[in-house]
Amino acid sequence: MVEVTIDGQKIEVEKGTTALEAARSLGIEIPTLCYHEGLPPDGNCRLCQVEVTDARGRTNLVISCMYPIKGPVEIRTDTERVRDARAFVVKLLLARSPHSPVLQHLAEEYGVEPLDARFVPEDETDLCIRCGRCVRACATLGNNCIEFVWRGWEKEVNTPFKEPSNSCIGCGACAQVCPTGAIRVTEDETTRTIWDRTFDLVACERCGVRFATPEQLKVVSPEFKPVDGRVLCPRCRKLEEARAVASGLGAQEEN
Amino acid sequence: MRQIIEGYPKEPRYLLATLQDIQEHHKYLSVESMKMVAEYLGVPESRVFSVATFYKALSLVPQGKKVIKVCNGTACHLRGAPKLVEALEKELGIKNGETTEDGFFTIQTVNCVGACAMAPVVMVNDRVYGKVTISQIPEIIEEERKDAV
Ligand code: SF4
Ligand code: SF4
Ligand code: FES
Ligand code: FES
Repeated sequence: MVEVTIDGQKIEVEKGTTALEAARSLGIEIPTLCYHEGLPPDGNCRLCQVEVTDARGRTNLVISCMYPIKGPVEIRTDTERVRDARAFVVKLLLARSPHSPVLQHLAEEYGVEPLDARFVPEDETDLCIRCGRCVRACATLGNNCIEFVWRGWEKEVNTPFKEPSNSCIGCGACAQVCPTGAIRVTEDETTRTIWDRTFDLVACERCGVRFATPEQLKVVSPEFKPVDGRVLCPRCRKLEEARAVASGLGAQEEN
Repeated sequence: MRQIIEGYPKEPRYLLATLQDIQEHHKYLSVESMKMVAEYLGVPESRVFSVATFYKALSLVPQGKKVIKVCNGTACHLRGAPKLVEALEKELGIKNGETTEDGFFTIQTVNCVGACAMAPVVMVNDRVYGKVTISQIPEIIEEERKDAV
Protein backbone atom coordinates (compact mmCIF):
# COMPACT_ATOMS: atom_id res chain seq x y z
CA MET A 1 0.00 0.00 0.00
CA VAL A 2 1.11 3.58 -0.59
CA GLU A 3 -0.16 6.77 0.93
CA VAL A 4 -0.97 9.55 -1.48
CA THR A 5 -2.44 12.99 -1.11
CA ILE A 6 -5.23 14.04 -3.45
CA ASP A 7 -6.39 17.65 -3.25
CA GLY A 8 -5.17 17.75 0.34
CA GLN A 9 -6.87 14.52 1.42
CA LYS A 10 -4.73 11.54 2.38
CA ILE A 11 -5.61 8.04 1.24
CA GLU A 12 -3.89 4.64 1.23
CA VAL A 13 -4.15 2.75 -2.02
CA GLU A 14 -2.93 -0.50 -3.48
CA LYS A 15 0.17 -0.05 -5.65
CA GLY A 16 -0.90 0.21 -9.28
CA THR A 17 -4.23 1.89 -8.54
CA THR A 18 -4.71 4.63 -11.09
CA ALA A 19 -4.85 8.27 -10.04
CA LEU A 20 -8.38 8.37 -11.40
CA GLU A 21 -9.57 5.40 -9.33
CA ALA A 22 -7.94 6.79 -6.22
CA ALA A 23 -9.55 10.20 -6.68
CA ARG A 24 -12.95 8.69 -7.36
CA SER A 25 -12.74 6.55 -4.25
CA LEU A 26 -12.48 9.84 -2.32
CA GLY A 27 -15.47 11.16 -4.19
CA ILE A 28 -13.34 13.60 -6.18
CA GLU A 29 -14.78 13.98 -9.65
CA ILE A 30 -12.42 14.01 -12.63
CA PRO A 31 -14.06 14.40 -16.02
CA THR A 32 -13.50 11.49 -18.45
CA LEU A 33 -14.67 10.59 -21.92
CA CYS A 34 -12.75 7.60 -23.21
CA TYR A 35 -12.51 5.89 -19.82
CA HIS A 36 -15.13 3.35 -18.74
CA GLU A 37 -14.90 1.17 -15.59
CA GLY A 38 -15.75 -2.00 -17.47
CA LEU A 39 -13.24 -1.56 -20.28
CA PRO A 40 -9.47 -1.56 -20.66
CA PRO A 41 -8.29 2.08 -20.45
CA ASP A 42 -6.93 3.63 -23.61
CA GLY A 43 -6.00 7.16 -22.58
CA ASN A 44 -6.87 8.73 -25.89
CA CYS A 45 -9.11 11.69 -25.03
CA ARG A 46 -6.74 13.30 -22.49
CA LEU A 47 -9.58 15.02 -20.68
CA CYS A 48 -8.79 13.39 -17.34
CA GLN A 49 -5.44 15.14 -16.87
CA VAL A 50 -4.27 15.96 -13.34
CA GLU A 51 -1.08 17.28 -11.78
CA VAL A 52 1.22 14.88 -9.99
CA THR A 53 4.16 15.87 -7.79
CA ASP A 54 6.56 13.03 -7.10
CA ALA A 55 8.80 12.48 -4.07
CA ARG A 56 11.57 14.56 -5.66
CA GLY A 57 9.26 17.50 -6.04
CA ARG A 58 8.82 17.32 -9.79
CA THR A 59 5.37 18.21 -11.02
CA ASN A 60 3.88 16.89 -14.23
CA LEU A 61 0.56 16.70 -15.98
CA VAL A 62 -0.50 13.08 -16.36
CA ILE A 63 -3.44 11.19 -17.84
CA SER A 64 -5.13 10.05 -14.63
CA CYS A 65 -6.96 7.06 -16.12
CA MET A 66 -3.61 5.61 -17.24
CA TYR A 67 -1.38 6.75 -14.37
CA PRO A 68 -0.60 3.92 -11.95
CA ILE A 69 0.33 5.08 -8.45
CA LYS A 70 3.68 3.56 -7.52
CA GLY A 71 4.92 5.80 -4.72
CA PRO A 72 3.81 8.48 -2.29
CA VAL A 73 2.83 11.23 -4.71
CA GLU A 74 0.71 14.31 -4.39
CA ILE A 75 -2.11 14.66 -6.89
CA ARG A 76 -4.00 17.85 -7.64
CA THR A 77 -7.10 17.60 -9.77
CA ASP A 78 -8.23 21.19 -10.05
CA THR A 79 -5.29 23.57 -10.52
CA GLU A 80 -5.18 26.28 -13.14
CA ARG A 81 -2.76 24.25 -15.22
CA VAL A 82 -5.11 21.26 -15.10
CA ARG A 83 -8.10 23.36 -16.07
CA ASP A 84 -6.17 24.93 -18.96
CA ALA A 85 -5.07 21.54 -20.23
CA ARG A 86 -8.64 20.22 -20.08
CA ALA A 87 -10.00 23.35 -21.72
CA PHE A 88 -7.60 22.82 -24.60
CA VAL A 89 -8.77 19.23 -25.03
CA VAL A 90 -12.39 20.32 -25.01
CA LYS A 91 -11.65 23.00 -27.57
CA LEU A 92 -10.14 20.50 -29.99
CA LEU A 93 -12.92 17.97 -29.51
CA LEU A 94 -15.57 20.62 -29.91
CA ALA A 95 -14.03 21.71 -33.18
CA ARG A 96 -14.59 18.19 -34.50
CA SER A 97 -18.08 17.62 -33.09
CA PRO A 98 -19.53 21.09 -32.51
CA HIS A 99 -23.07 19.84 -32.01
CA SER A 100 -22.32 17.27 -29.31
CA PRO A 101 -24.30 18.16 -26.17
CA VAL A 102 -21.71 16.43 -23.97
CA LEU A 103 -18.94 18.60 -25.38
CA GLN A 104 -21.02 21.76 -25.28
CA HIS A 105 -21.62 21.09 -21.62
CA LEU A 106 -17.91 20.59 -20.95
CA ALA A 107 -17.12 23.72 -22.94
CA GLU A 108 -19.38 25.70 -20.68
CA GLU A 109 -17.79 24.21 -17.59
CA TYR A 110 -14.26 24.96 -18.77
CA GLY A 111 -15.04 28.34 -20.24
CA VAL A 112 -14.27 27.30 -23.81
CA GLU A 113 -15.68 29.66 -26.40
CA PRO A 114 -17.75 27.82 -28.98
CA LEU A 115 -16.20 27.83 -32.42
CA ASP A 116 -16.94 30.84 -34.60
CA ALA A 117 -20.12 29.93 -36.48
CA ARG A 118 -18.26 30.43 -39.77
CA PHE A 119 -16.13 27.38 -39.01
CA VAL A 120 -18.96 25.07 -38.07
CA PRO A 121 -20.23 23.21 -41.11
CA GLU A 122 -24.00 23.36 -41.00
CA ASP A 123 -24.51 19.76 -41.92
CA GLU A 124 -21.95 18.54 -39.38
CA THR A 125 -24.05 16.05 -37.47
CA ASP A 126 -21.24 13.78 -36.33
CA LEU A 127 -21.37 13.31 -32.56
CA CYS A 128 -18.54 10.81 -32.40
CA ILE A 129 -15.39 11.94 -30.59
CA ARG A 130 -13.34 8.87 -31.63
CA CYS A 131 -12.87 7.74 -28.04
CA GLY A 132 -13.05 4.08 -29.01
CA ARG A 133 -15.22 2.96 -26.12
CA CYS A 134 -17.59 1.22 -28.53
CA VAL A 135 -14.71 -0.58 -30.25
CA ARG A 136 -13.31 -1.75 -26.91
CA ALA A 137 -16.74 -2.82 -25.67
CA CYS A 138 -17.41 -4.94 -28.72
CA ALA A 139 -13.90 -6.43 -28.62
CA THR A 140 -14.21 -7.17 -24.90
CA LEU A 141 -17.36 -9.12 -25.67
CA GLY A 142 -15.33 -11.02 -28.26
CA ASN A 143 -17.41 -9.95 -31.23
CA ASN A 144 -15.00 -7.49 -32.86
CA CYS A 145 -17.58 -6.12 -35.27
CA ILE A 146 -16.50 -2.51 -35.31
CA GLU A 147 -13.16 -0.75 -35.66
CA PHE A 148 -11.68 2.60 -36.50
CA VAL A 149 -11.42 2.90 -40.26
CA TRP A 150 -9.76 5.45 -42.55
CA ARG A 151 -7.61 8.06 -40.88
CA GLY A 152 -7.07 11.74 -40.33
CA TRP A 153 -10.19 13.80 -40.75
CA GLU A 154 -12.06 10.84 -42.30
CA LYS A 155 -11.36 8.50 -39.39
CA GLU A 156 -14.56 6.98 -38.06
CA VAL A 157 -15.93 3.86 -36.42
CA ASN A 158 -17.53 1.42 -38.81
CA THR A 159 -18.29 -2.21 -39.54
CA PRO A 160 -16.02 -4.28 -41.83
CA PHE A 161 -16.30 -3.06 -45.43
CA LYS A 162 -19.12 -0.79 -44.22
CA GLU A 163 -21.43 -3.76 -44.56
CA PRO A 164 -23.71 -5.10 -41.82
CA SER A 165 -21.37 -7.25 -39.74
CA ASN A 166 -22.24 -10.92 -39.51
CA SER A 167 -20.55 -11.32 -36.16
CA CYS A 168 -22.77 -8.61 -34.60
CA ILE A 169 -25.25 -9.99 -32.08
CA GLY A 170 -27.22 -6.77 -31.72
CA CYS A 171 -26.45 -6.50 -28.02
CA GLY A 172 -26.22 -2.73 -28.12
CA ALA A 173 -23.21 -2.66 -25.76
CA CYS A 174 -21.39 -0.32 -28.15
CA ALA A 175 -24.23 2.19 -28.01
CA GLN A 176 -24.56 1.82 -24.24
CA VAL A 177 -20.96 2.79 -23.53
CA CYS A 178 -20.83 5.61 -26.08
CA PRO A 179 -20.46 8.86 -24.13
CA THR A 180 -21.96 11.03 -26.85
CA GLY A 181 -24.90 9.04 -28.16
CA ALA A 182 -23.26 8.77 -31.57
CA ILE A 183 -24.39 5.20 -32.23
CA ARG A 184 -27.97 4.86 -33.38
CA VAL A 185 -30.08 2.03 -32.01
CA THR A 186 -33.73 1.95 -32.93
CA GLU A 187 -36.30 -0.46 -31.58
CA ASP A 188 -39.90 -1.11 -32.46
CA GLU A 189 -42.28 -3.71 -30.97
CA THR A 190 -40.44 -6.71 -32.31
CA THR A 191 -37.09 -5.66 -33.74
CA ARG A 192 -33.91 -3.78 -32.92
CA THR A 193 -31.75 -2.11 -35.56
CA ILE A 194 -28.11 -1.20 -35.04
CA TRP A 195 -25.21 -0.71 -37.47
CA ASP A 196 -27.59 -1.29 -40.39
CA ARG A 197 -28.64 -4.72 -39.21
CA THR A 198 -32.10 -5.54 -37.95
CA PHE A 199 -32.54 -8.20 -35.30
CA ASP A 200 -35.65 -9.94 -33.97
CA LEU A 201 -36.38 -9.45 -30.30
CA VAL A 202 -37.25 -12.39 -28.07
CA ALA A 203 -40.01 -12.01 -25.48
CA CYS A 204 -39.59 -12.76 -21.78
CA GLU A 205 -41.65 -15.86 -20.95
CA ARG A 206 -42.87 -14.32 -17.73
CA CYS A 207 -43.79 -10.69 -18.47
CA GLY A 208 -43.79 -10.69 -22.25
CA VAL A 209 -41.38 -7.80 -22.65
CA ARG A 210 -39.18 -8.19 -25.71
CA PHE A 211 -35.68 -7.73 -24.35
CA ALA A 212 -32.92 -9.48 -26.30
CA THR A 213 -31.98 -10.75 -29.73
CA PRO A 214 -31.82 -14.50 -30.43
CA GLU A 215 -28.15 -14.02 -31.29
CA GLN A 216 -27.56 -12.57 -27.83
CA LEU A 217 -29.30 -15.51 -26.17
CA LYS A 218 -27.27 -17.93 -28.24
CA VAL A 219 -23.96 -16.73 -26.83
CA VAL A 220 -25.31 -17.88 -23.45
CA SER A 221 -23.96 -15.18 -21.27
CA PRO A 222 -24.92 -16.14 -17.70
CA GLU A 223 -27.46 -13.36 -17.35
CA PHE A 224 -29.53 -14.91 -20.11
CA LYS A 225 -29.43 -18.58 -19.07
CA PRO A 226 -33.00 -19.90 -18.91
CA VAL A 227 -34.47 -20.17 -15.39
CA ASP A 228 -36.36 -23.45 -14.98
CA GLY A 229 -36.37 -23.77 -18.75
CA ARG A 230 -37.87 -20.35 -19.24
CA VAL A 231 -36.26 -17.40 -21.01
CA LEU A 232 -36.57 -14.44 -18.68
CA CYS A 233 -35.78 -10.76 -18.99
CA PRO A 234 -33.31 -9.38 -16.43
CA ARG A 235 -36.10 -7.94 -14.26
CA CYS A 236 -38.13 -11.15 -14.05
CA ARG A 237 -34.94 -13.12 -13.51
CA LYS A 238 -34.19 -11.06 -10.41
CA LEU A 239 -37.72 -11.49 -9.13
CA GLU A 240 -37.58 -15.24 -9.65
CA GLU A 241 -34.20 -15.49 -7.98
CA ALA A 242 -35.34 -13.44 -5.02
CA ARG A 243 -38.38 -15.67 -4.73
CA ALA A 244 -36.27 -18.82 -4.82
CA VAL A 245 -34.03 -17.47 -2.09
CA ALA A 246 -36.98 -16.40 0.01
CA SER A 247 -38.73 -19.77 -0.22
CA GLY A 248 -35.43 -21.53 0.44
CA LEU A 249 -35.25 -19.70 3.73
CA GLY A 250 -38.75 -20.83 4.57
CA ALA A 251 -40.02 -17.30 4.37
CA GLN A 252 -43.54 -16.42 3.38
CA GLU A 253 -43.80 -16.21 -0.40
CA GLU A 254 -44.95 -12.81 -1.49
CA ASN A 255 -46.95 -12.31 -4.62
CA MET B 1 -5.11 -14.74 -54.73
CA ARG B 2 -5.30 -17.86 -52.61
CA GLN B 3 -1.72 -18.61 -53.52
CA ILE B 4 -0.50 -15.27 -52.27
CA ILE B 5 -2.41 -15.58 -49.02
CA GLU B 6 -1.42 -19.15 -48.32
CA GLY B 7 2.22 -18.26 -48.83
CA TYR B 8 2.12 -16.76 -45.35
CA PRO B 9 2.05 -18.55 -42.00
CA LYS B 10 -1.41 -18.57 -40.44
CA GLU B 11 -0.63 -15.90 -37.89
CA PRO B 12 -2.31 -12.54 -37.28
CA ARG B 13 1.00 -10.68 -37.40
CA TYR B 14 1.30 -11.32 -41.14
CA LEU B 15 -1.77 -9.19 -41.82
CA LEU B 16 -0.01 -6.14 -43.21
CA ALA B 17 2.50 -8.15 -45.23
CA THR B 18 -0.30 -10.17 -46.82
CA LEU B 19 -2.31 -7.10 -47.72
CA GLN B 20 0.77 -5.41 -49.22
CA ASP B 21 1.48 -8.49 -51.29
CA ILE B 22 -2.06 -8.58 -52.67
CA GLN B 23 -1.90 -4.86 -53.36
CA GLU B 24 1.33 -5.34 -55.27
CA HIS B 25 -0.02 -8.11 -57.48
CA HIS B 26 -3.62 -7.03 -57.97
CA LYS B 27 -3.18 -3.26 -57.60
CA TYR B 28 -6.00 -3.11 -55.08
CA LEU B 29 -7.75 -5.01 -52.27
CA SER B 30 -11.18 -6.34 -53.13
CA VAL B 31 -13.68 -7.03 -50.37
CA GLU B 32 -13.46 -10.75 -51.18
CA SER B 33 -9.69 -10.74 -50.85
CA MET B 34 -9.89 -8.99 -47.47
CA LYS B 35 -12.46 -11.51 -46.26
CA MET B 36 -10.22 -14.34 -47.39
CA VAL B 37 -7.26 -12.85 -45.50
CA ALA B 38 -9.38 -12.45 -42.36
CA GLU B 39 -10.45 -16.05 -42.45
CA TYR B 40 -7.04 -17.45 -43.24
CA LEU B 41 -5.08 -15.49 -40.65
CA GLY B 42 -7.83 -15.69 -38.03
CA VAL B 43 -8.07 -11.90 -37.74
CA PRO B 44 -11.48 -10.22 -37.29
CA GLU B 45 -12.77 -8.67 -40.53
CA SER B 46 -13.11 -5.37 -38.70
CA ARG B 47 -9.37 -5.38 -38.03
CA VAL B 48 -8.50 -6.19 -41.64
CA PHE B 49 -10.69 -3.36 -42.89
CA SER B 50 -9.18 -1.01 -40.33
CA VAL B 51 -5.64 -1.76 -41.48
CA ALA B 52 -6.61 -1.71 -45.16
CA THR B 53 -8.08 1.77 -44.82
CA PHE B 54 -5.28 3.14 -42.63
CA TYR B 55 -2.29 2.81 -44.95
CA LYS B 56 -2.06 5.01 -48.02
CA ALA B 57 -0.09 2.31 -49.81
CA LEU B 58 -3.15 0.08 -49.73
CA SER B 59 -6.07 0.82 -52.00
CA LEU B 60 -9.66 -0.39 -52.04
CA VAL B 61 -10.23 0.59 -55.65
CA PRO B 62 -8.28 -0.73 -58.63
CA GLN B 63 -5.11 1.22 -59.37
CA GLY B 64 -3.73 2.00 -62.80
CA LYS B 65 -0.56 0.35 -64.11
CA LYS B 66 1.10 3.70 -63.52
CA VAL B 67 0.30 5.46 -60.28
CA ILE B 68 1.10 9.15 -60.55
CA LYS B 69 1.86 10.59 -57.15
CA VAL B 70 1.96 14.33 -56.96
CA CYS B 71 3.76 15.47 -53.84
CA ASN B 72 1.68 18.00 -51.97
CA GLY B 73 4.05 18.51 -49.05
CA THR B 74 4.73 22.06 -47.93
CA ALA B 75 7.59 22.77 -50.36
CA CYS B 76 5.82 21.23 -53.34
CA HIS B 77 2.53 22.83 -52.44
CA LEU B 78 4.16 26.26 -52.41
CA ARG B 79 5.85 25.56 -55.71
CA GLY B 80 2.64 24.80 -57.51
CA ALA B 81 1.67 21.15 -56.84
CA PRO B 82 -2.07 21.97 -56.92
CA LYS B 83 -1.65 23.39 -60.44
CA LEU B 84 0.11 20.17 -61.50
CA VAL B 85 -2.79 18.12 -60.18
CA GLU B 86 -5.21 20.25 -62.18
CA ALA B 87 -3.11 19.84 -65.31
CA LEU B 88 -2.96 16.05 -64.83
CA GLU B 89 -6.69 15.86 -64.24
CA LYS B 90 -7.29 17.76 -67.46
CA GLU B 91 -4.80 15.72 -69.45
CA LEU B 92 -6.18 12.36 -68.31
CA GLY B 93 -9.83 13.29 -67.93
CA ILE B 94 -10.07 11.91 -64.38
CA LYS B 95 -10.11 13.39 -60.90
CA ASN B 96 -7.46 13.05 -58.23
CA GLY B 97 -7.81 9.57 -56.70
CA GLU B 98 -9.36 8.06 -59.83
CA THR B 99 -8.09 5.63 -62.46
CA THR B 100 -8.40 6.06 -66.22
CA GLU B 101 -10.82 3.75 -67.99
CA ASP B 102 -8.05 2.00 -69.90
CA GLY B 103 -6.48 1.14 -66.53
CA PHE B 104 -3.20 2.91 -67.32
CA PHE B 105 -3.14 5.82 -64.91
CA THR B 106 -4.17 6.74 -61.38
CA ILE B 107 -3.63 10.19 -59.90
CA GLN B 108 -2.87 10.58 -56.22
CA THR B 109 -1.56 13.30 -53.97
CA VAL B 110 0.89 12.35 -51.25
CA ASN B 111 2.74 14.10 -48.45
CA CYS B 112 6.38 15.12 -48.63
CA VAL B 113 8.36 12.43 -50.44
CA GLY B 114 11.64 13.76 -49.08
CA ALA B 115 13.00 15.47 -52.17
CA CYS B 116 12.02 19.04 -51.38
CA ALA B 117 15.05 20.47 -53.16
CA MET B 118 13.47 19.22 -56.39
CA ALA B 119 10.03 20.62 -55.65
CA PRO B 120 7.53 20.27 -57.13
CA VAL B 121 7.97 16.52 -57.32
CA VAL B 122 5.89 13.97 -59.22
CA MET B 123 6.47 10.24 -58.92
CA VAL B 124 5.24 7.75 -61.47
CA ASN B 125 5.50 4.33 -59.86
CA ASP B 126 9.14 4.42 -58.76
CA ARG B 127 10.36 7.05 -61.20
CA VAL B 128 10.92 10.54 -59.78
CA TYR B 129 10.39 13.73 -61.78
CA GLY B 130 11.73 16.92 -60.18
CA LYS B 131 11.04 20.62 -60.79
CA VAL B 132 8.06 19.66 -62.88
CA THR B 133 6.29 22.34 -64.87
CA ILE B 134 2.78 22.24 -66.26
CA SER B 135 4.11 22.25 -69.80
CA GLN B 136 6.02 19.01 -69.15
CA ILE B 137 2.90 17.10 -68.16
CA PRO B 138 1.88 15.92 -71.66
CA GLU B 139 5.42 14.67 -72.33
CA ILE B 140 5.58 12.75 -69.10
CA ILE B 141 2.23 11.11 -69.76
CA GLU B 142 3.25 10.25 -73.31
CA GLU B 143 6.50 8.66 -72.16
CA GLU B 144 4.89 6.69 -69.35
CA ARG B 145 2.10 5.48 -71.61
CA LYS B 146 4.65 4.06 -74.08
CA ASP B 147 6.36 2.36 -71.18
CA ALA B 148 3.11 0.88 -69.92
CA VAL B 149 2.05 -0.64 -73.24
S1 SF4 C 1 -24.36 -4.42 -31.03
FE1 SF4 C 1 -22.98 -5.49 -32.43
S2 SF4 C 1 -21.38 -3.99 -32.80
FE2 SF4 C 1 -22.42 -3.33 -30.94
S3 SF4 C 1 -21.28 -4.27 -29.24
FE3 SF4 C 1 -22.96 -5.65 -29.74
S4 SF4 C 1 -22.04 -7.09 -31.18
FE4 SF4 C 1 -20.66 -5.31 -31.13
S1 SF4 D 1 -19.20 6.06 -31.45
FE1 SF4 D 1 -19.24 6.79 -29.34
S2 SF4 D 1 -18.04 5.27 -28.19
FE2 SF4 D 1 -17.56 4.98 -30.34
S3 SF4 D 1 -15.72 6.21 -30.68
FE3 SF4 D 1 -17.48 7.50 -31.22
S4 SF4 D 1 -17.96 8.62 -29.35
FE4 SF4 D 1 -16.63 6.92 -28.74
S1 FES E 1 -10.52 9.53 -19.77
FE1 FES E 1 -8.41 9.46 -19.44
S2 FES E 1 -7.64 9.89 -21.39
FE2 FES E 1 -9.77 9.76 -21.77
S1 FES F 1 7.32 18.70 -50.05
FE1 FES F 1 7.43 17.56 -51.87
S2 FES F 1 9.24 16.48 -51.57
FE2 FES F 1 9.08 17.54 -49.70
